[in-house]
Amino acid sequence: MNNPHHLNPTSLKSRFTTRFLRALTKIRAQKPISSSSPTEIFRRYRRIKVAADKSMAYSVRSRRIWSRAMLWKLRSRSYRRQDPCSGRRSGKTNQAIMKKSSNENTTTRREDGVGFVEEADELRQLVPGGETMNLCNLLDETAHYIKCLTTQLFSPIGKG
Amino acid sequence: MDIGEKDKYELGKRDEHNNINYQAPVLSTDWQFGGANLTSAGMSLVPTTNPLAIGSSCASASLVDSFGSSLWEHPSNSQNMGFCDISVQNGASSSNAMEIGKCLPNSLRTSIDRPFDMGWNAASAMLKGGIFLPNTTGILAQTLSQLPADSAFIERAARFSSFNGGNFCDMVNSFGVPEPMGLYARGVGLMQGPDDIFAVNGMKSVSVMESQKSKLDATEATRDAGLRVENRAKTSPLENERKSESLMQPNEEVKQGTGGSGNESDEAEISSRDGGQDELSTLDGTGGEPSAKGLSSKKRKKSIQDAEIDRAKGGQTSTKTAKDSPENQQKQSMMINKTTGKQGSPASRPPKEEYIHVRARRGQATNSHSLAERVRREKISERMKFLQDLVPGCSKVTGKAVMLDEIINYVQSLQRQVEFLSMKLATVNPRLDFSIEALLAKDIIQSRAGPSSTLGFSPDLSMGYPPLHPSQPGLVQAPLPVIGNSSDVIHRALSSQLTSMTGGLKEPNQHSNAWEDELHNVVQMNYGTSAPSDSLDVNGPRPSSNTKVEL
Repeated sequence: MNNPHHLNPTSLKSRFTTRFLRALTKIRAQKPISSSSPTEIFRRYRRIKVAADKSMAYSVRSRRIWSRAMLWKLRSRSYRRQDPCSGRRSGKTNQAIMKKSSNENTTTRREDGVGFVEEADELRQLVPGGETMNLCNLLDETAHYIKCLTTQLFSPIGKG
Repeated sequence: MDIGEKDKYELGKRDEHNNINYQAPVLSTDWQFGGANLTSAGMSLVPTTNPLAIGSSCASASLVDSFGSSLWEHPSNSQNMGFCDISVQNGASSSNAMEIGKCLPNSLRTSIDRPFDMGWNAASAMLKGGIFLPNTTGILAQTLSQLPADSAFIERAARFSSFNGGNFCDMVNSFGVPEPMGLYARGVGLMQGPDDIFAVNGMKSVSVMESQKSKLDATEATRDAGLRVENRAKTSPLENERKSESLMQPNEEVKQGTGGSGNESDEAEISSRDGGQDELSTLDGTGGEPSAKGLSSKKRKKSIQDAEIDRAKGGQTSTKTAKDSPENQQKQSMMINKTTGKQGSPASRPPKEEYIHVRARRGQATNSHSLAERVRREKISERMKFLQDLVPGCSKVTGKAVMLDEIINYVQSLQRQVEFLSMKLATVNPRLDFSIEALLAKDIIQSRAGPSSTLGFSPDLSMGYPPLHPSQPGLVQAPLPVIGNSSDVIHRALSSQLTSMTGGLKEPNQHSNAWEDELHNVVQMNYGTSAPSDSLDVNGPRPSSNTKVEL
């Protein structure tokens, strides 16, 4: 076997695959794809995308800053959709923290002394939760994020 | 007589006492100053204002009895004792507890004075930390300073206090109240006999506090370093204890508790535990090895696993701790965090240090700021190297800025790919009645036939363009002949990409721009949509055709 890592039930790949599979079956169970109206497709696409992000973030749990940020984003989004009031209440503390930290970061432009400010900022926008990280952690998170993205793409769920 | 155990038994018998006592750890966190919260906390607080009174009477009494006796035998000692007049019984009935409960709030409200506050802070701090052990020991530790030495009692209190030492300092830091520390240290000093441990603990706690404060000043404070320092604060008092077994568990728990700091750091720690080597808390532990070999700039990081090794030398470290902190500042090397001194040969990893030792290179500035800067820069460049391996096509690139740009492009492309593929999943209707095993089987076949196939079914490296009509179900029967025509060369090139994806590629460099595969990707798309449905349809795939199809 060339890929023993995939048979490891606790590997990131298998965790993500099982979760994503579950989500996909749930989504497909809701509506058959016979209706090919663009709006339907678009909605399903959104849902699948969210499911992919969610499965990825849940496979990583809170071990990474980006997964935490992603989970928080997903949760606040779902709360907001369900009930605008509850969204305000539940996401308040997190939002306050994130806002505060992001405000601090935007006002105090992160001059890390190494001169990669613009690129670092761009990278921060790409990686979820990157606004709150210094360059050192940002590179860490980027590496793990890349690894997880490639796992997603190479998962056997027809994505790769 | 073992007061501690007897206390437990005593308290176990009285339900009300238990209720009241166990309320304390839960409620002390609220810092409420009224109501039932005061009952147990107040009980523990009273002794602080009457050290002599309690000290004299406690030696031969149970804990509650000691409180009771002190309270009721010395009613005139302070205004806090005002309530004593109400109930004179010598604490054996449960009604006492209730009366105490009633009386305390009144007395406490009326008599809020400074030592009381100090004691309150200390008590709550102790109680907070004492959640781990039953509340009896929390109160015991609270009365640590006042109670005379009793061997078994001291053992118990020592264990608690030593475990709590680190927590206490953390809590003190968070409270920002230095007085309880003084109280604690003083109280510690009052103990006799095995007081060496306590004194050392006090010193250690003090040094921990100082070093923690200095840690805040430092520019370098990575996550893992911070975690390790806290671990150190918790585990270092443990080292001073000569009881290894009872402390192994808290040590383990502390280790496990901080295991959540990250996968890599976990693995790094475990590997270092086995090998007994230093490791940096970075993505790979290999970065620590060159430094351990004694380069001019040495970085050493104390790992928690060294605690076991240090246990044998535990006595020395404690004394060294206090000495080293003033010394180190005089040296050229800069202690970024707290240190416990350097022992052992530099050739092997220095076992004692708890945070990064950086020695200024020859001819370089020894300013602490520049040293910190240099450390950060080295960390960053180390991570950039790691990223270079991850991102295909970065090996040729020189310069950090360009590499960062490449990384950004790569991440963007990956994200777009994920989006595109999820859109593909939304439109195409593959049969989702497969199980994970089928998927695994497919994956295995894929990988097995990967190198040998000429047709490359590789995921798109970049999908810059929106998908071209993936919504048509006709794509499911995408014409296989399409593959044969124009894609052979492309697939061959891209299959090599697939197999060497994670290893760092050279192939894409042949293209002027690695991301110019979009045109090829168009064909890939068609191919890709067909492949999953084909493969998923058949659980037991026909090997030959499937390998072709999938690859």
